[in-house]
Amino acid sequence: METLVTYVSINQRGQAQREQRRVAGALLILGRGTQCQIHLPDPRVALNHARITVTEAGAAIEAEPARVVVNGREVGGARLSVGDRIEIGPYIVQVEAPPAGLPLALAVQLSGSLTSKGSEFFRRVRLRAPQISKRRLSYLAFFGVLLLFLAAPMSPDLLKGTALPLTDSRPGMWEEMIRTLGTSFAQTWNPGPVSRSHQVFGKDCRACHQFPFIQVRDLACIACHKTIKEHVPPVELTGAHGIAFLETRCAECHLDHKGKQMTPRAQEQCAQCHRDVKSAAPKARSENVTDFASDHPRFRLSLLDADRPGVVRRVRQGDAASGEMVERSNLKFNHALHLDPAGVRDPKGVRDAAGMRDARGHRKVLTCASCHEPEEGGRLMAPVSMERHCRQCHSLAFEPTVTLRQVPHGSEKEVATMLREFYARLVLGDAPPDVKPPRELPRMRPGAVLGYEDRQRALQIADQKAQRVLRELFETRGVCSTCHHVTGGSGAGWEVAPVLMARVWMPGALFTHAKHSAQSCTTCHDVRGSSDARDIAMPGIAKCRECHVGARAVLGTVTSDCATCHKFHAGRNYWHGAVQAQMLPRGAK
Amino acid sequence: MRQHQSILEYQSGRYLWLSLGLCALAIGAYVWHEPPTVGLSPYGGTWLGYTLGTVGAVLILWLMLLGVRKRRYRSSMGSVQGWTSAHVYLGASLVVIVSLHSAFEFGWNVHTLAYVLMLLVIASGIFGVYAYLHFPELMTKNLSDETLEAVLLKIADLDRKCRTIALDLPDEVNLVVMKASRAKARSAQIGSSLRRQLAGEAVRCPTRDACDALLRLGAKLTGEQAVLNGQLLTAMTRKSLLIDRMRRDLCLRARLRVWLLMHVPLSFALVAALIAHVVSVFYYW
Repeated sequence: METLVTYVSINQRGQAQREQRRVAGALLILGRGTQCQIHLPDPRVALNHARITVTEAGAAIEAEPARVVVNGREVGGARLSVGDRIEIGPYIVQVEAPPAGLPLALAVQLSGSLTSKGSEFFRRVRLRAPQISKRRLSYLAFFGVLLLFLAAPMSPDLLKGTALPLTDSRPGMWEEMIRTLGTSFAQTWNPGPVSRSHQVFGKDCRACHQFPFIQVRDLACIACHKTIKEHVPPVELTGAHGIAFLETRCAECHLDHKGKQMTPRAQEQCAQCHRDVKSAAPKARSENVTDFASDHPRFRLSLLDADRPGVVRRVRQGDAASGEMVERSNLKFNHALHLDPAGVRDPKGVRDAAGMRDARGHRKVLTCASCHEPEEGGRLMAPVSMERHCRQCHSLAFEPTVTLRQVPHGSEKEVATMLREFYARLVLGDAPPDVKPPRELPRMRPGAVLGYEDRQRALQIADQKAQRVLRELFETRGVCSTCHHVTGGSGAGWEVAPVLMARVWMPGALFTHAKHSAQSCTTCHDVRGSSDARDIAMPGIAKCRECHVGARAVLGTVTSDCATCHKFHAGRNYWHGAVQAQMLPRGAK
Repeated sequence: MRQHQSILEYQSGRYLWLSLGLCALAIGAYVWHEPPTVGLSPYGGTWLGYTLGTVGAVLILWLMLLGVRKRRYRSSMGSVQGWTSAHVYLGASLVVIVSLHSAFEFGWNVHTLAYVLMLLVIASGIFGVYAYLHFPELMTKNLSDETLEAVLLKIADLDRKCRTIALDLPDEVNLVVMKASRAKARSAQIGSSLRRQLAGEAVRCPTRDACDALLRLGAKLTGEQAVLNGQLLTAMTRKSLLIDRMRRDLCLRARLRVWLLMHVPLSFALVAALIAHVVSVFYYW
């Protein structure tokens, strides 16, 4: 079956030209697709716009889902008869009378121009589309940010030493302005607030960051921290860790711009050397340690011998075999006696603070705090003082029936001198009003004039009396020997053994009594059973570990790293001594 | 082989796995790594901080190179599709890597500025991926198998037809049609500003107004004029529908383009902030 298709076009002279083609097949597809039997090239026409089915009986057009206009009416399909006019987009398809033998003849004609008006409109729509240049925006953003956040903060440094325009009209004004602006913009470089003590530097970055692109040097720190001590003398360091330690800058441990504090708690760093401390510092006397909970050695106490002043015995707890764990202070003291819950005998029946006597009358109950008072600051305990703590009960009265005066404490010679002078005065008839002179002493008649020999004899009597009293003090009555070891005799004079007591038992530890005030004294120092002053009541590491664990937090315990108890800058010399010497003012220690 | 493969599925997500691996590595290192100073949170100045920062900076510079690579048509250095896939996944992984580098320390400074710019670039990029995967489909659906040009030509045809019909109708009807037509010619009915195009809606569409007016005026007409007015109304309504489709197409086109207007300038701002960040850190070391 064939269909006659005539394409009508108008030539330049306005004449219609007809070009005929025969198309075989019972199905004709109209559309802009090139495979269509009737090709209608225009964007307004769908790819397969409509189908014409040709049979012996006649033809029908069908255009689903697109639509066609048949004889002015828009339809989805229609039967076709001669004379029908089909409009598809800009094309008009006319059904013509077919020649003999053919069932259908079509004439295809373009009704108007293809795109003339539409294309202009199309261009306008396109022009209205957003025409913002990404490139221009990018340049703006890139150089804007560089200017504000790179050039501006660096401007004071960049312009340093260069001649600025207009400086001659207003000298210094431009520099000042740029410096102020630059300093303000430089604050945008600040990664975080500086520590509280460094806030004194304000916006002066150069106080610490002295040179561009060079890490903060120790010199900058030592400019203020003049007296900071080194950890260990540099000459004693060897090995990889030792050398690394030497090269460590202050700022590697003390990081600033991290908020309030900048004190490091660098257990891991300590352990780098102290894991095998001899490899970094062969002269080290401490034992290896990495963590308090696991491998901290037992404590070493610094013990003193009163008879060997200047010698400090370092004795490790638990090394009892050496028999050295005693304090040889030359004092006699019985803690058990003094801490008797029933109280101690009170010779004077001293009233308590409220003015009331103890219920038992003449007994006084002592506690630890009766003698051991914390030092100001709360770290150590103040030394026990004869004057303030012992003398209330242990009177040094030398002849209570004569006077309530007491001999001075602390020097045998002063005791002797005091007594000689005291009795001489009595013998010479110049008794003070608070003294009732003893009957055995001869007394001068008031107003009597003594010759040289009389005076010598009187003084001899006084000396003899003083000597008797001294013997009573040092020997017979045992006033001194209650607490002291007394040697010698009346000939060469008595001698009280020197006393020396430890004030700090563990000098390497930063123990603070005040921070442990929630505990009772006897938690750590139980002396209630001790009757010997040589006993030592320092707690062992096991006692500390009841509360303190290592650097790893454990619920219900106190997390404790090295810095909890130990000071890092605890050496004798200034940090990096050579540098330090230049920094310190002349004559400063 | 499939005809089309999305950049997200390129090489069965090779770069997705690469990015996830990178992120997992970074997170693992961050958790395992302990800063040298106990009691301080991690920060950008530890060895891990410097490593993460370097990785982040190198990634950012490489991501910027996509703009160069896609213009080098003769380059054989990987396909642009592969580059884009890597660009998307590695770019997204920066959120993890750079956050860990910052150790979540933020403030009013150039460092956080760089971080925020990076997040904005990534956010706009994620919108871009969504747009490229989603909008073309909507655009195809909207125009079915037509082009924007065809729609515009059809609108022009309908406009011509409306004006022809209106010649035989009363002046007030003619005026309504002319008004809609002139407005069309000025393109005022098409979202002309970027904001309007993105919104996809005209506040007052003159063609839709004209439809309403014709409906109202048609009630007064009788006989032949009523029939003509009916035809006019049909044409005007079809035109209105076509205009809606065109407007939607323009809206989708604008949305498809607009994210790049953010993405590209912001990424250049980011590179500038990154330079300032790196210089500032070492300038005041």
